[in-house]
Amino acid sequence: MVTVVQLATQVGSLTLRNPVLAASGTFGYGLELVDFCPPEALGGVVTKGLSPRPRAGNPTPRIVETPAGMINSIGLQNIGVEAFCTQVLPALRQRGATVVVNVFGETEEEYATVVERLEREDGVAAYELNVSCPNVGKGGMEFGHDPSSLDLLVRMLRRLTRRPLWVKLSPNAPHLLAVAEAALAAGADALTLVNTFRALAIDAKKRRPAVATGFGGLSGPAIKPLALRLVWEVHRAFPQAPLVGIGGVLTGEDAVEFLLAGACAVQVGTATFRNPAACLEVVQQLQAFCQREGVEDVRELIGGLRWR
Amino acid sequence: MERRSDQPVILASRQELSPSCFALELLCPGPLTATPGQFIMLGPTAGADPLLRRPFSVAGVGESPRGVLVQLLVKEVGKFTSLLRRLPIGSELSLLGPLGQGFRLLEAPPRPVLVAGGIGLPPVLFAARELSQRGIPFDLFYGAASSHELLLPQEVKRATNGLAVFCTDDGSFGEQGLVTEVLRRLWQKSYSRILACGPTPMLYAVAQLARERQVEAELSLEEPMACGVGVCLGCVVRLHDGSYVPSCQAGPVFLASQLAERW
Ligand SMILES: Cc1cc2nc3c(=O)[nH]c(=O)nc-3n(C[C@H](O)[C@H](O)[C@H](O)COP(=O)(O)OP(=O)(O)OC[C@H]3O[C@@H](n4cnc5c(N)ncnc54)[C@H](O)[C@@H]3O)c2cc1C
Ligand SMILES: Cc1cc2nc3c(=O)[nH]c(=O)nc-3n(C[C@H](O)[C@H](O)[C@H](O)COP(=O)(O)O)c2cc1C
Ligand code: FES
Repeated sequence: MVTVVQLATQVGSLTLRNPVLAASGTFGYGLELVDFCPPEALGGVVTKGLSPRPRAGNPTPRIVETPAGMINSIGLQNIGVEAFCTQVLPALRQRGATVVVNVFGETEEEYATVVERLEREDGVAAYELNVSCPNVGKGGMEFGHDPSSLDLLVRMLRRLTRRPLWVKLSPNAPHLLAVAEAALAAGADALTLVNTFRALAIDAKKRRPAVATGFGGLSGPAIKPLALRLVWEVHRAFPQAPLVGIGGVLTGEDAVEFLLAGACAVQVGTATFRNPAACLEVVQQLQAFCQREGVEDVRELIGGLRWR
Repeated sequence: MERRSDQPVILASRQELSPSCFALELLCPGPLTATPGQFIMLGPTAGADPLLRRPFSVAGVGESPRGVLVQLLVKEVGKFTSLLRRLPIGSELSLLGPLGQGFRLLEAPPRPVLVAGGIGLPPVLFAARELSQRGIPFDLFYGAASSHELLLPQEVKRATNGLAVFCTDDGSFGEQGLVTEVLRRLWQKSYSRILACGPTPMLYAVAQLARERQVEAELSLEEPMACGVGVCLGCVVRLHDGSYVPSCQAGPVFLASQLAERW
C-alpha cells in the first residue's frame, strides 16, 4: 500500500498530469460536460475532429448498440476550426485544460489549413491526426491505410508546427506496422491506437443495416482485447515510440492494461456515453489500483507486461 | 434551468398498464425537477449490459416523504425495457437528468391542443397536468392501436380541463381511426398550437396538419441516443436549413417550423 502515487506521465515531450484523456468524438469540444468531468482534472481532452469548415455529418440513424459496444457513423460532424478557436478554445485555456486537437481533412491541404489556423492560438498542447475514420468517403482511412500517403501528410504537417503531432491509426489497416513505421519516420511524436473497427450491424426485421451508411465503426468493451493486441504489437516493434492506447476502457484496471501493453497514456471514449464522469472515475480507479498494488509512479507500469 | 445530475434511484413501484406497457415510479434521494417534454437517461447501476443508458420522457414528478418520485410510462421493446419489467421493487438504477428542452408551456397561446399516440403519452400527460394546474384551457387527443393499448384513460381524462378524445385504430374504444385523422375531423378554429408526441409517421401527419391550419406545432421526437448530453452526435435531427442538431440538447421537443419536412 502506498499513499502518494505519482500519476503524471509523458507522451514524448508532452507532460500530462495523469495518463487519462477523453477520446475524440466522445467529449464534445471539452466544455460540454464540465459539471460532471472538469477537463482540467484529466490528463487531457481530445476534441471532436475539426475540419477547415463546418461539416454536417452523415444521415441518420447514426448509432446502434451492439453486444458490449456500439457502432457509430457520425461522419465527422463538427463546427469547423474557426468556431473552435473563437468560441471554445479561450474557455479551455482559461480552465487550464490540456487540449489535444483532433484534426481531419479530406485532402493534405485541408489538414494543413486546420493546423495553420491553430498555430495562431495559444493553449493547444498537441495535434492528433485522424487518418483512420471509417465513416467518411475521402480522407480518413485513405491516409491511415497507405504508408506512402501518410508519409507525405505527416512530413508536410511536420514543417508547419513544432507542437507534438500524434497520428491516430486505423485498426482496419491491412499492414498496421508499416503504417506506424511510416508515421514515426515522417516525424510523428506519438501514435494513438486505435480508432473504431469497421463493422456491420443488421436489423433483421427490416433486412437493412442498422446505421444509414451501412458500415460503421465499432467501439466499446467489445474491442478492448483487439486494441490491446495492436498496442502490444506496435510497442514490441517500436519500443521507443510513445503510444496512446484506446479502445473499450471503462475502468481504472482497463487503463492499467493499456499501460502494461506499452501505452504511456490512455483515452476513454464510449464509456463517457454511459457515464459522463467516466474519465474522472478512471483516474480515481487508476490511482486506487496503484495504491493497492504498491505502484508509486504510474510510469512503472508502461510496457510492464510479462509476456512469458 | 433545471440542474441535471447523475444519481442512484430506487425502483419504488410498478403497475402493469397493458400487454406491452407499464408505469414506474423512481425514488430520487437527491433533488430533481423537470418540465414536461424533458427526459432522463436510465440504466443499471452495476454491470455493463446494456452498455448505454436509455432515454425516457418524464410523465410526472411528485414529492414523497422519502424524496422526489419520477413517473415513467414504459413500453417493453427490448433488452433494457424487459429488464425494467422484471426488476424487483427496491432495486437501484442510475438516473441522469433532467435533460433536453421540453414544451414551451409559458409561451403557450390561448388554446393549445395536445396529441399523443401510443407510448408517446408520457410527455403529453405531464404537459396536460401542468397546463391544468396553470388554468390554461386545452383539449387532448390520445390514440392507440386498440382499447388494450390505451394507457391510463382515467388519468388522462382527469388531467384534461377541456375535451379528452380517445381514438383506437380498430374502433374498440372511443373514435375509430388514426388520432391525426380524428383531430383533423374535430379541429376547432380556436386551436392555436399543437403539442404532440408519438411515432414518427404520426408526427409527420401532425406537422402537415399544422402547416395546413397555419399554427405552430411542438413535436417531441424520439431518436436513438447514446449519451443524452450532446457529445456523441448520434441523435441528430435535420432542420429545414439542412443542418443536423442533437435532439437530446436542442430537443427532444422541436417547433415543427424549425424542422426539415422529413427530419
Ligand atoms: C427522448 C426520448 C424519450 C423516450 N421516452 C420513452 C418513454 O417515455 N417510454 C418508452 O417506453 N420509451 C421511450 N423512449 C424510447 C426508449 O428509449 C426505447 O424504447 C428504449 O431505448 C429501448 O431500449 P431496449 O433496451 O428495451 O431496446 P433495445 O434492445 O435497445 O431495442 C429493441 C428494439 O427497439 C428498437 N428501439 C430502440 N430504441 C428505440 C427508440 N428510441 N425508438 C424506437 N425504437 C427503438 C430497436 O430498433 C430494436 O428493434 C424514448 C426515447 C427518446 C429518444
Ligand atoms: C460517436 C463516436 C464519435 C467519434 N468521433 C471521432 C472523431 O471525430 N475523431 C476520431 O479520431 N475518433 C473518433 N471516434 C473514435 C474514438 O475516439 C475512439 O478511438 C474509439 O471510440 C475507441 O475507443 P472507445 O472504445 O473507448 O470508445 C469516435 C467514436 C465514437 C463512438
Ligand atoms: S444522444 Fe449523444 S448527442 Fe444526443
